[in-house]
Amino acid sequence: MNVTDTPNAVRHIASANRVTLAQLVVALTLLALLVIVLAVIATAVGSEHVSLASISKIIIAGITGRSADVTPEQQIIIAEIRLPRVLMAVVVGGALSVAGAAYQALLRNPLADPYILGVSTGAAVGAIVSTVFAESIPVGRPLAAFIGAVLTITAVYALGQGRRGEASERLILAGVITNTFLSSIVIFMLTAASGSRLRSIFSWLIGDLSGEPRLLGLVTVFVMAGIVVIYMNARALNLLMTGEEEAVALGVEVRRVKITVYLAASLITGAAVAVSGVIGFVGLVIPHAIRLVGGSDNRLVIPASALAGGALLLAADTVARTIIAPRELHIGVISALIGGPVFIYLLRRTS
Amino acid sequence: MLKVSGIHFSYSQPVLSDLSFEIGNGELLVVIGPNGAGKSTLLKIIVGILSPESGSVLLDDRNIASMPRREAARLIGYVAQGSSIRFPLTATEFVLQGRFAQQRLIGFESDEDVTEATRAMELTDTIGFADRPVTELSGGERQRVMLARAIASRPRLLVLDEPVANLDISHQIRMLDLVRNLISEGNMSAIVVTHELNLAAEFATTALLLKAGEMMACGAPNEVLTEDLLQTVFETELLVDASPISGAPRVTLVPPSRPNRERGI
Repeated sequence: MNVTDTPNAVRHIASANRVTLAQLVVALTLLALLVIVLAVIATAVGSEHVSLASISKIIIAGITGRSADVTPEQQIIIAEIRLPRVLMAVVVGGALSVAGAAYQALLRNPLADPYILGVSTGAAVGAIVSTVFAESIPVGRPLAAFIGAVLTITAVYALGQGRRGEASERLILAGVITNTFLSSIVIFMLTAASGSRLRSIFSWLIGDLSGEPRLLGLVTVFVMAGIVVIYMNARALNLLMTGEEEAVALGVEVRRVKITVYLAASLITGAAVAVSGVIGFVGLVIPHAIRLVGGSDNRLVIPASALAGGALLLAADTVARTIIAPRELHIGVISALIGGPVFIYLLRRTS
Repeated sequence: MLKVSGIHFSYSQPVLSDLSFEIGNGELLVVIGPNGAGKSTLLKIIVGILSPESGSVLLDDRNIASMPRREAARLIGYVAQGSSIRFPLTATEFVLQGRFAQQRLIGFESDEDVTEATRAMELTDTIGFADRPVTELSGGERQRVMLARAIASRPRLLVLDEPVANLDISHQIRMLDLVRNLISEGNMSAIVVTHELNLAAEFATTALLLKAGEMMACGAPNEVLTEDLLQTVFETELLVDASPISGAPRVTLVPPSRPNRERGI
């Protein structure tokens, strides 16, 4: 059969039913604009209102190194409190969403998420151990969280192995069990910790983006590196989603891809948990929403999840710190309120 | 074209022992045998998903096991048994996956990829639902989409694990007819595992009978699908005569509970 006879079919198949570079660029540009708009709003709102003009002055001053024409209070609130927190929300939300998308493709299960698999709690155990025993080392916490995340996903993977290779349902179940087990270790460590320390650890644990601004740079580097590594494997992940043996047959070095992506997803989960505690369900909700709108191609799902996850967490954090002002809700509360019902919905749809 | 020699494979007990056979260009080899005979394992070894403990699989005189994965993928198209897909990829996206081994690791599909995928979808008559998610296709449609993915790289060898399981009789015969046409179109051979003995007899150029990992017979369908051999291998009573249409062996099953079987033909 000669396909040059059917240019209409070619044109049809070429654009309508798959993701193209142009579509990707448009989608990412729109999402990036959304993040920027939300970031501006989030920086402006709060107990001390700061005008947009002042904010831009402070940002320009920060970049050029000159001093801004604003009050010292505003300077401190924006540059040292709100902006780092805004950036942290974007980085953490992006990290958790991409980790979720990666775990979902690896396990061929749309219900996978760093929190449900126990990886976030594993990272938290690592972070708490480092806080208790090596508080003075700044890299200690993300590093220990990364180690905790890797150990947890390894354990979950081993527990989830059936007699004939891995079964996706078993892995999710293994994750839930591991999460419960690790949570009790967390509670044990919190109970054993002294009073003042307990408060700070507890506050971080249930989701707090304001705690560790000095780690922002380091965590951003970790997260960006992890996302790039996962994105390089996006096409291989597309094939893995449809079956491991089929992926081998289609030319994927499955072992190498799996180890690389598991490590990268654990790295960014660890980095996110180290600065924000355990924030559940973002990695579940965001990739699902992206797939609903844009399809399942990971070349779109991964970068779009990074931006949309950043946007969602930023919006959630802004709500969390303003809704019952002057007090603040923990962001983990909001993410669980949104994520729990979505999980039930997905469970009912996929089973 | 394909030469399998001295294959051994075991999990906890031997699955395949000392298996050797050859097929030539343009042949359609049908592998038959009872459940657990090692048919799927044999296919996975040929494709390169599993490595044999000893023995070799040579495709055009080159060893599959020592080839880079991407190169082997360009030469062999594989359709696994009953794939379960939980992500709503469109049929187009799914078929384009068959071009993975021709593509760079990052980036988007080239015009050639799209042309080849379109050709594969036209040959398998799947272009009509190019935009539908594979999760929403019927069994027959999905099976054809999987076949389209397997031929999108224009492989030398097509390996199909029970492609007609779960298909109704009309889709069964169309599927194998399609495979036969694909072979006659291009420079290709095929290996098909099936439990449908009459389809095997009708379409095979060579039949391979497998039991408990051992080759019981390999040759022309009318030499392999004989009453004696099939009764020994499947341990059930049956009758083999010739199809009135094609003359190929025709297998009729006889229920074990039926006494005094009559052969009133």
